[in-house]
Amino acid sequence: MDQYLPILVLIVLGLLFAALSFVGSSMLAPKKRPTAAKVAPYECGIVPDIEPPSRFPVRFYLVAMIFIIFDIEIVFLYPWAVVFHQLGTFGLVEILVFAGIVFVSFLYLVSNGALSWAPAKHLERAMPSRTSDSTIARISGNPDPLASGPPVASPDVEPAAAAASGPGQAA
Amino acid sequence: MSPSLLLGVAAATPRFRTPHIDYLSILPILIMMGGAVAIVVVSSLVRRQLRTGVGTLLAIVTSLAALGASLTQWADVADHGAKVTIAGAVAYDGFSVFIQVTVSIAMLLTVLVGDGYLRREDVGGPELYVLALLSASGAMVMGSANDLIVIFLGLEIMSIALYVLAAFNHRRTESGEAALKYFILGSFSSAIFVYGIALVYGATGSTNLPEIADYLSKNVVASNGVLLAGLALLLVGFGFKIAAVPFHMWSPDVYQGAPSPVTGFMAAVAKAGAFAALLRVFVSSFGAERADWQPIVWALAILSLVVGAVLALSQRDVKRMLAYSSINQAGFILLGVQAADGRGVAASLYYVFVYTFMIIGTFAVVTVLARTGDRGHDLSEYRGLAKRQPLLAGALAILLLAQAGVPFTTGFLAKFQVVAAAVDAHSYALAAVAMASGAIAAFFYLRVAIAMYSPAGASGDDASHEPAGAAGAGVGGEAGSAGSGSPAGSGMADPVGAAGGRGGAVGVAAPGVAMLSLQVLTDEAPSPEVAGRTVPVPALAATALGLAVAFTVVFGIVPAPIVDFAHRATLLFL
Repeated sequence: MDQYLPILVLIVLGLLFAALSFVGSSMLAPKKRPTAAKVAPYECGIVPDIEPPSRFPVRFYLVAMIFIIFDIEIVFLYPWAVVFHQLGTFGLVEILVFAGIVFVSFLYLVSNGALSWAPAKHLERAMPSRTSDSTIARISGNPDPLASGPPVASPDVEPAAAAASGPGQAA
Repeated sequence: MSPSLLLGVAAATPRFRTPHIDYLSILPILIMMGGAVAIVVVSSLVRRQLRTGVGTLLAIVTSLAALGASLTQWADVADHGAKVTIAGAVAYDGFSVFIQVTVSIAMLLTVLVGDGYLRREDVGGPELYVLALLSASGAMVMGSANDLIVIFLGLEIMSIALYVLAAFNHRRTESGEAALKYFILGSFSSAIFVYGIALVYGATGSTNLPEIADYLSKNVVASNGVLLAGLALLLVGFGFKIAAVPFHMWSPDVYQGAPSPVTGFMAAVAKAGAFAALLRVFVSSFGAERADWQPIVWALAILSLVVGAVLALSQRDVKRMLAYSSINQAGFILLGVQAADGRGVAASLYYVFVYTFMIIGTFAVVTVLARTGDRGHDLSEYRGLAKRQPLLAGALAILLLAQAGVPFTTGFLAKFQVVAAAVDAHSYALAAVAMASGAIAAFFYLRVAIAMYSPAGASGDDASHEPAGAAGAGVGGEAGSAGSGSPAGSGMADPVGAAGGRGGAVGVAAPGVAMLSLQVLTDEAPSPEVAGRTVPVPALAATALGLAVAFTVVFGIVPAPIVDFAHRATLLFL
């Protein structure tokens, strides 16, 4: 049973760490909690009645991904470098394959515009079935034969909306 | 230089002895992974418009290359015999090669279906193929793993790619929901699986499958609580991946939410990989302990058979129905596992192989019929399909009938073999439940077929509004009238009518179920916008569908080659 002692010790240490974190934070944290008015977003003094959307560019995620890619690479490169001599040629080839695959993911991110901070050139259409022609046709009431989406069942229903609501419940 | 100095230098920098690697034994896995990386590189370099096309081409080439490599392996194993390579981590035998052939074919069919889907949905390019190839390589690793840790590695390679694949259609919220559910439950089951490995290691002192078998055959474990707990946890992990009841809760939601080609892939490849590992671990390594685990598998099989069949009856969404049907099929494959002998393993392998064709073919039709947005999965979409697109309806009818186990299809032989294996193993109750559940399952497969062969207009409802008093005869009559009532279905009227007769016979045996089935049959109102509109069938999807139907019918009539293939795979089983 001796060999299970470290596991027991680890469990106790884990529990202690969790418990001490709570105790420590309750002792060290400021007692004054921020009021609701303090944490509310500032809108020129007007009390906001809806939660304003917090916006930040999705590209930050892509930059974070690039960071993670190379972070992971370093995590594996470091222990490899420590035993480089023992591993010999086989280890060198393996780490080159690994680095190559990691580089491919970097290539993929760059080709998807992760590093291009200029205004996006390739904006993908959110609704391919909607064009300015289809909108004009919808407003004027005669269905456009060029519109590629599903045929407009009734003139007051947008094609994309009709597709989204499902064919089962159409008039 | 004195010998002691030399020794000192050697001790200072001891060379790691890397194991000899037999590259042929893992060639299909390497091809799959290499193909995935190649697709990422090439698709990153070509113009945006070309990405899907180039990806499809490369994915097809990769799948064919993996299939070719697997067949080369098959010849090699047949000539030189099975062996264990790469420091005992990989088994190179007929069993592993069989799974690699299965997964390669599933991959090929999925690519053919996926191309049309990607072009229609505009949700991204070749990432679908990259993830599917990686997932397939994980299933192959599971199939050839000879060590519990390697099985876990394969399980994770397969699952992580599948989690992302489930979320692939970012325009559908259901897709994200499916992925989140699958991810959380899947990680949980993986953790349980690893804990099972740890307990088995604690009880036997090894994670290597032959060493475990060796230990168990030479030692009598006096207090085997740890071993049994480990076995149970391993079974939970596998049960989750094969969607056996009671570990099936994720499967209807995930199957429904995931993009349709991915659902087909998931049903084929995840099942193939998980069943391969399950068979290898339990039948070969824990064969000595079979008295302990057979009753559990027995219960899992019965629950899967009954729950899958009964819950599928009340589904209106075809993908959800197919999810429950897949649970039912998993129950059938478990019959072969429960038998735990050569015949059972061969039956299970055969079932997995032919099921790959059936389910991916079925989901090819589901994909095509769902239209842009991947939403048209309601049964009403299928109503009158035979009149609009008789070929598509005929193909789906054949594949559904094959899943129901109608003779002259591969599905019949698959069911026959697993039931025969169960009978051989003296599990008579299990075999009886399996046959009864097969009869129940015939109802919901026929329900789709009846919907397809009913007229699309309101005139089709007269059959449905038949009084439910004559329950058993009602279903048969309905099927018959639907078959003959459809002018376009002259070719297909016969099998549907015959199958309807079979359904009627079953209805006599289980009138309660027939009532339920009739009840759910009556509320199929065709939507007017669906009637009279055909869906475009992409050429590649049609090719995949044609391959699936041709395989199902040809090898249903001439079963010997595939049966022999599965049987020889077990002969070479280490």
